[in-house]
Order: sequence, then structure tokens, then C-alpha cells
Amino acid sequence: MRTQKALWLLVIVIFMNGFLMNELKAQQTVVDSSVLDRITELEKQTSYNKPGMDHFMVVGLATVGFASIKNTTTIGGVSSVSKTNSFPDADHFEFSPMLLWRHGQKFLLEFEPSFSGNSLGVNWADVSYFAAPNLIIRAGYLVLPFGTYSKRLAAGWIDKLPTDPMGIADMAPTDYGVEVEGGLPLGSMKMSYDLALSNGSQLMPDGTLGAGNITDNNNNKTLTGRVALLPFSNSSLEIGVSGMFGKVGDVSTSPTAKGNAYAFDLNYVKLFNPILLNIKSQYNIQDINSNVAQVDSLPYTSNTHATSFFAQGSIRPTGASGFIKNLELAGRYTTYNNPAGSNGLIQNAVTVGLNYWINWRTVFKVGYESYTGNINAASTSNKINSLFLQFSIQL
Amino acid sequence: MKMLKMKNISLLIVVLFFVTLLPLLMDSCKPSQKVAAKSGVQLWAENCQRCHNTPSPNTFSPEQWETIGMHMQTRALLTQSEREKIVAFLKQ
Repeated sequence: MRTQKALWLLVIVIFMNGFLMNELKAQQTVVDSSVLDRITELEKQTSYNKPGMDHFMVVGLATVGFASIKNTTTIGGVSSVSKTNSFPDADHFEFSPMLLWRHGQKFLLEFEPSFSGNSLGVNWADVSYFAAPNLIIRAGYLVLPFGTYSKRLAAGWIDKLPTDPMGIADMAPTDYGVEVEGGLPLGSMKMSYDLALSNGSQLMPDGTLGAGNITDNNNNKTLTGRVALLPFSNSSLEIGVSGMFGKVGDVSTSPTAKGNAYAFDLNYVKLFNPILLNIKSQYNIQDINSNVAQVDSLPYTSNTHATSFFAQGSIRPTGASGFIKNLELAGRYTTYNNPAGSNGLIQNAVTVGLNYWINWRTVFKVGYESYTGNINAASTSNKINSLFLQFSIQL
Repeated sequence: MKMLKMKNISLLIVVLFFVTLLPLLMDSCKPSQKVAAKSGVQLWAENCQRCHNTPSPNTFSPEQWETIGMHMQTRALLTQSEREKIVAFLKQ
């Protein structure tokens, strides 16, 4: 009797088990079907949003501000003073959207129009070809590789102070040409090279060099190059040497005028916890030798030796807490000596500033600059004291 | 005129020489083991601040970081390996 009960119980258990398994299987099939439908839908959406090989984006920068300037001019011992208070004007405003267009992994087109100095211009317009792992070939309208300031540090949201150092960017023109560049590992060190062949600058009637959006005036090309070494494995120090060599005279007459320039730059950025120390410096030398060059069909004789220099330091307590870590103190000394065009102008300026970083690419700056310019031949001096409030953002 | 042509040819030869030589030179340049082992986050911290503050990875989309990585390689002259590692970190 007991055996019979056990047998019935076993039969019931087996039956129930089979029934439950079937139910579960049916439910499983329903669930799988629903998930599959969802996956198919997601695949469709993903396919629709697939980025493709190309990518286009707009970045850029904007800089606005306020400048209060006191200008004291002394001629033969007699001084006159003028004062201005201006919202962003031709000298202190910039809006520069930058268009980046990537074609796959090999080509990049860069175009940066800029509204500054009361005019709409172009900072650069070029196409880069990533030919090999550490070799980039570029052609178009280029910022020539002369020092580092113009190419890397001039943007308002990067520059630690509201003004540019004097004479530095003036000697690093933008020009039409081709360029090869890249960074190379050297064991624990690193080096970079940048070589450009361009139409070249042109000798102006006042003895200075003109460059940029101008038609080529001779068949000679200007060679500009920079080689830099980063001796430490943490890339904290970079030392660079640049040279620019070319003829600058007019081909239609006697193109004997030569313009040779050299630049030495230094960049040191290191965290000494909690302080981030940032030191930058560049020294430019420009020699224009024009024994009997022809400028605008007039004979012109000139040998000009111009120099410009800046040394800048800033500290920021990035390791601190609270709003203190967003503050940065900066100072700079700059000189510019260019006898051409201004009858012997020797200029220097000291600039100090306090920055507040709203985020990594947005900064509010307060700066004070004291400028002195002397024109020796005319016994004329010029002193300018300026207060700047500036807001700069990378878009 | 002949002199001018000779100069142009010489210039062309020099340019071609360097263009040919550069890839060979680059192939012989290798990083040390210590440098080769650096992570993307380490390279991001070391290299970006050479010019500007270190960017937040959240600022741009992965596609945008690819494009910006190429742009920054042309500006800061990063090595290819550095760019790839930094972009990979920023895309996360």
C-alpha cells in the first residue's frame, strides 16, 4: 500500500515537473522574442547614427574686455597726458571660430577666420596629411614654425595675461607654403621638428617686413624651421631653436635684400604640489640686410637688427581646495627693439595679472601693464599705464 | 636664368631628401620602456598643461576627441603614440 502511494506521488511530481518546464519554456520564448525585437530596433538606430569616416566640428575662441589707459608722451621735456576708457575695441576684442574637418584618419582641414582689429581676417587655412606615425605634411596658409608663441600660446584662453608680448608674433608671420612636422620619441627624451617652405616676407618701404595675405614678390622661397628637445621623460621642459631664411626684395628690380631671423624658446611647466609653476620665454632676432634693394621702384639701403624678448611666469595652487585652486598669478617682462620704421624705438613693458579660471577653458583676467617706449633720435618718450579686465573662452 | 633653375632644382633635391630621410629617421626613434609604459591619463596630465589647462574628458564626444586629437598633434607635435593614448583616455 505504501509502495503504491509512493508510486502515485512520483507520477504526480513527474507530471507537474513536465508541466512547469513547458510553461517556463513558453515564457522564455516570449521573452527572447521581445528582447530580439528590441535589439533589432537598437541596431537600426545605431546604424542610423553611425558617424562614418568624416567628422566636422566648430571650436574656436572669444575674448572681450575693458581697458583703462593713461598715455603720457614727453617730447623735449614737455609732457602731455591722454586717458581712454574703452570696452573691447579693435585692440582688445577677438572672435575666432575654428572649423575642423577630419577626413578619416589621414586628413585634417583647419580654418580659423577671425574678427579682430576691426577687420575680418584669417588666422590659418590649411590641410594636413598624417603621412606616417610621426610625420605630418601640411599645405596652405600656415602659421610659420618660428618660436612657439604664435602657434601655441597666443589664444586668449591660453595666454596668462591680457596682452601679447611685444614683437614676438610680429616676427612669426603667417604665409602660403608647405610644411613637414612631427614629434619623435628619443628614449626617455622627446624631440619635435617643424620645417616650412613659404613664399616669404617682403621688405616694406619703412624697412620692416610685411607678410600674410600678400602676393609673392619674388621667385625665392623662405625656409623656416624649428627643432625642439624635451629632455625630461615627463615633458616638463621644452627648449626650441628656430631659424627663418629668405630673400625679401622685389624680383622686378634687384632682389638682394635678405631677411634672416632666429628664435630661442623655453617652456617649463611642473607641479610642485600644491603649486603649478609655469615659465615661458622667447627671444627673437631679426636681421634685414638690404644694401641696394629696390622697394616700390625706389632705391633703399638698410641694415636692420631687431630683437624682441619676453619672460613670463605664473603660479596656480591647483592642489589647494575651494576657489583658491582656480586663482592664478602671472607676471611678464617684454622688450622690443626695432630701429626700422620708427627711427630707433626701444620699448619695454612689465605686466602683472590675476586670473580666475571658471573652468579649464574659461578665464577672467585682471591685468596691469606699464609700458615705456623711447625714440632716441627725437628725444621722445612714451609711457602707457593700462588696466585690463578680460574674459576669454574657448568655444 | 640658368642659375635660377639650378637653385630651384637644388632646393627641390634638398626637400625630397628630407622627405625621404624623415620616415627612416622616425623608424629608428624608440621610446624607453618607462615612457612606452605610460598610460593615457599620465600623458594627458603631462602634455596638455604644457600650453593650457588639462581638458575635462566630458567636454567633447568621442568623435570630437578624435578630431581634436589630430588638431593637437599638429600644434603640440605630440608623438603618434601619445596622441592615441590621450585620445583613448578622453573618449572613455
